[in-house]
Amino acid sequence: MDMDVLLGIGRFVLATTLLLLLTIPTAFIIIQIELKVIALMQLRIGPNRVGPRGIFQSTIHGFKVLAKEDAVPDQADRATFTLAPWMVYMAAAMSMLVIPFAPGAIAADMNIGVIYFFAVLGLSVVGLLVAGWSSYNKYSLLGGLRSAAQMVSYEIPLTLSVVGVVILTGSLNFTEIINHQLAHGWNLWWQILGFPVFFIAATAEINRAPFDLVEADSEIVAGPFTEYSGMRFGFFFFAEYVALFIMSTIMVALFFGGWLAPWPFPAQLGGFAGTIYGLVWFFAKTYFFVFFAVWMRATLPRIRVDQLMGVAWKVLLPLALVNLFLTAVAVVAFNL
Amino acid sequence: MTAVDPETRIPDPIDLDRAEEERLRAAAGMGPAPASSGAGGEYAGFELVGVPDRPLQTEREVEMYTLEEGEMLVNMGPQHPSTHGVLRLVIKVRGEVVTDLDPVFGYLHRGIEKLCENATYTTVLTYVDPMDYLASMHNEHAPAIAFEKLYGIKAPPRAEYIRALVVELNRVFSHGLMIGFLALDMGGLTPILYSFINRDEVVELLASISGQRMLFNFFRVGGVNWDTNDEFLSRLGTWHANVRKTIGYNEKLITENEIFRGRTRGMGVLTPEQAIAYGVSGPNLRASGVPFDVRRAHPYSIYNELEFDVITQQSGDVYARYLQRIAEIKQSLHLIDQIMDKMPHGPVQAQVPGIIRPRPGRAYAAIESPRGLYSVYAISDGGQTPYRFRMRDPSFITLQVMPVLMPGHLIADTMAVMASLDPVMGGVDK
Amino acid sequence: MRLLIDRLGDTAGELRTDEDSVEIQVSRDHIVDTLKLLRDEEDFGFFFLADAAAVDYGVGRHLEVVYHLYSDRHPAWLRIRVPVERSDPRAPSITGLWAGAMFHEREMYDMMGIVFEGNRDLRRIFMSPDYRSFPLRKDFLLPDDAADSPAAGVNPLERPETWDLSAFTRELTRAGATYAPTATAMDVPPDEVPQADDVADKSRPR
Repeated sequence: MDMDVLLGIGRFVLATTLLLLLTIPTAFIIIQIELKVIALMQLRIGPNRVGPRGIFQSTIHGFKVLAKEDAVPDQADRATFTLAPWMVYMAAAMSMLVIPFAPGAIAADMNIGVIYFFAVLGLSVVGLLVAGWSSYNKYSLLGGLRSAAQMVSYEIPLTLSVVGVVILTGSLNFTEIINHQLAHGWNLWWQILGFPVFFIAATAEINRAPFDLVEADSEIVAGPFTEYSGMRFGFFFFAEYVALFIMSTIMVALFFGGWLAPWPFPAQLGGFAGTIYGLVWFFAKTYFFVFFAVWMRATLPRIRVDQLMGVAWKVLLPLALVNLFLTAVAVVAFNL
Repeated sequence: MTAVDPETRIPDPIDLDRAEEERLRAAAGMGPAPASSGAGGEYAGFELVGVPDRPLQTEREVEMYTLEEGEMLVNMGPQHPSTHGVLRLVIKVRGEVVTDLDPVFGYLHRGIEKLCENATYTTVLTYVDPMDYLASMHNEHAPAIAFEKLYGIKAPPRAEYIRALVVELNRVFSHGLMIGFLALDMGGLTPILYSFINRDEVVELLASISGQRMLFNFFRVGGVNWDTNDEFLSRLGTWHANVRKTIGYNEKLITENEIFRGRTRGMGVLTPEQAIAYGVSGPNLRASGVPFDVRRAHPYSIYNELEFDVITQQSGDVYARYLQRIAEIKQSLHLIDQIMDKMPHGPVQAQVPGIIRPRPGRAYAAIESPRGLYSVYAISDGGQTPYRFRMRDPSFITLQVMPVLMPGHLIADTMAVMASLDPVMGGVDK
Repeated sequence: MRLLIDRLGDTAGELRTDEDSVEIQVSRDHIVDTLKLLRDEEDFGFFFLADAAAVDYGVGRHLEVVYHLYSDRHPAWLRIRVPVERSDPRAPSITGLWAGAMFHEREMYDMMGIVFEGNRDLRRIFMSPDYRSFPLRKDFLLPDDAADSPAAGVNPLERPETWDLSAFTRELTRAGATYAPTATAMDVPPDEVPQADDVADKSRPR
């Protein structure tokens, strides 16, 4: 075998291992942020006992979830019941391959990065449907169907709003997109209509408030996850927060310059220091959006399912199409 | 009594359940229970889950539990994060649209009416506290008035003013909690905590005067138990200075929130004729446009001397009930101001013996609780305990209107409509 | 107000008044018409059914259904008492007049055993559907659950034959406690309330 191929495979295996290992602490950190930030917004203290200032609370949650009894309902379809959490988690993990963390620090710098990302993320719908069906529970069934309807509806405005960015850049490759932003400024200013559509659609796609009907715990108990306990539920739970992280990273990459620093700072440095510099800015921007999502969760009530569909099809989709049209016209007219 | 035989084995609960079921089935004339289905998942009869096994007894049950094509029974069971206590709602849905609804009560039934028949009159005032546990002062106020009518005395004026004060304080925090629960049932996690901040302050306030934070044992036949003290007055002052700000937090978050308005406007519309026919009273009735407030209609205590308006809303939907309660909180604050200005000096309890024996007779007393018209019908036979002690709880009657309001809405709206009617299961189940 | 009640004629009997309520007795054959009259007539206008309660006057005596009505034309509550025979505990249902009487009647059926004819949904509301006794009756001796429980017999408290009920049965049939009010609280003016006025602390009576 060729040395390059072996090195390539080795690098790929290392990268994917690092990414998979990254998901766990990321989920823990985001859950901890959510617990503490929501508590402070509700004028209470939040976890403050486990570890200094309570920072190990979510870690202990994670280990607790491992220790719980694994209860499978008597009449549930065991094979698919076990498969569903794996499907959801894998969809999230696979899509992490193309995230542009820093210059040169992408696991797989594919030429069709954007398409790959949205295609794989859509696989989580199947996981939720399977979870709802295999639980032999009416609540789960209703929840699974609702979530499938929601996620499928919102994928269309989501991907359409990204097409504007792709037209501007002329490439589906994430590194190219970020280099384009280095040259021309962040896509936020160029896609002033596309970004809000993307933001709303992304929030709905990952089932975050105010679109979190899937797990609307005051109506359908826990939706498709009602019958899951222990580590199976842990998979779903972590997958949700990993998906939040991933969506934030993509938002940052597509619209906010990825690893580029904002105006007063030098946008990009070279060499190894440049990688670290880019990583720091990337994570800072990503966690700002995570904070923003948590802020929305603390503040806003939930939208009802028919209003949700209405927003997707009657508001976001036309806006995304308009955005697409305007971008295309602008690119052709001004030879961007 | 015979001694327990040490050889007796306590039977296993699973066998007891099966034996019980067999016995009941035999008594009802039905066949034995079908064996539980084995592996492979029986999906045939899946949609019939929820229809009761026993024969259906009444017309309405038949109407409710007969499933047509495409309909399914969803049980929002007694344990549920959103039902206000242990309420079981059997909802017949077609897809996501509700076609019928049957509330099932009794999970919190404690037999308070029967208990009170064996309790002295003062003890009765302790027993009624946990009925509508969010408005304990109102629960005590009605029997206190009824017993005073039976005994033939009136509470001294200062006692009446203190009663009105604590009752209005109770109303403020009860309405505040309703607002929090309404938002919580729709997914807004924060307003409930702001409501609880307000409630905590009020409850500490009431604890400094009555000694209890929740089930205040404060009213006595002939007055109240203790007079106001320094701690109460200073806490009242602090609370009063801050309350509009705290209520304002919630208002700002909820009232103009587009998501909240979209989910509550036009939802669960109760027409005034329906409301009166179904016996709905209190803020729910006034939000439908009927200006019926017991404090004005049949004034009790000192409400004749206080100046307040009976506010109504026009639309009768969930949003109107929410606005009605916000307006009533402000009215209550206005009332509290007047009470504090006008409070006379004097004793706080009339001279009554420890065990009261009223003359035989009947008395009816009705008050305005945060949920509606709360009334007590007491019959005395001359002894230490009431002969019949009947309480009419407004939440019980208000829940009749659920099967009328719900059909046509989605399951998600069930929670919103229920939260807006503000039932408290302690009162419903007595 | 009393003058208006006279219009009800001979179907109403035993009028009593109090500081804030007027009480009449109506027999169960006339109750539906009487309530309809009270609700629909302009002069009466008793649009709101405030309460519907049931009273058990003791073993060997009758039951009673009591309705309380409110009108904004009259300042007093109107109390209507309908005697019901114990041996034949049926009463007509008023759910045709006020749909909100449904739960009241279900509760009266559940707790007292009064069957309301014409009620579409007369089933138990608090107790479980297979309960056989009526809890609020004065002769309610034994809860079903304890007697029928398959584990009854292990714990002596669950074995009814070990109970000493003599005191209880004596209480139920005590001859001295007849409920026949001669003078009621409604006819006698309230006594003066004595106050101690030579004590410094006036927070409660001494």
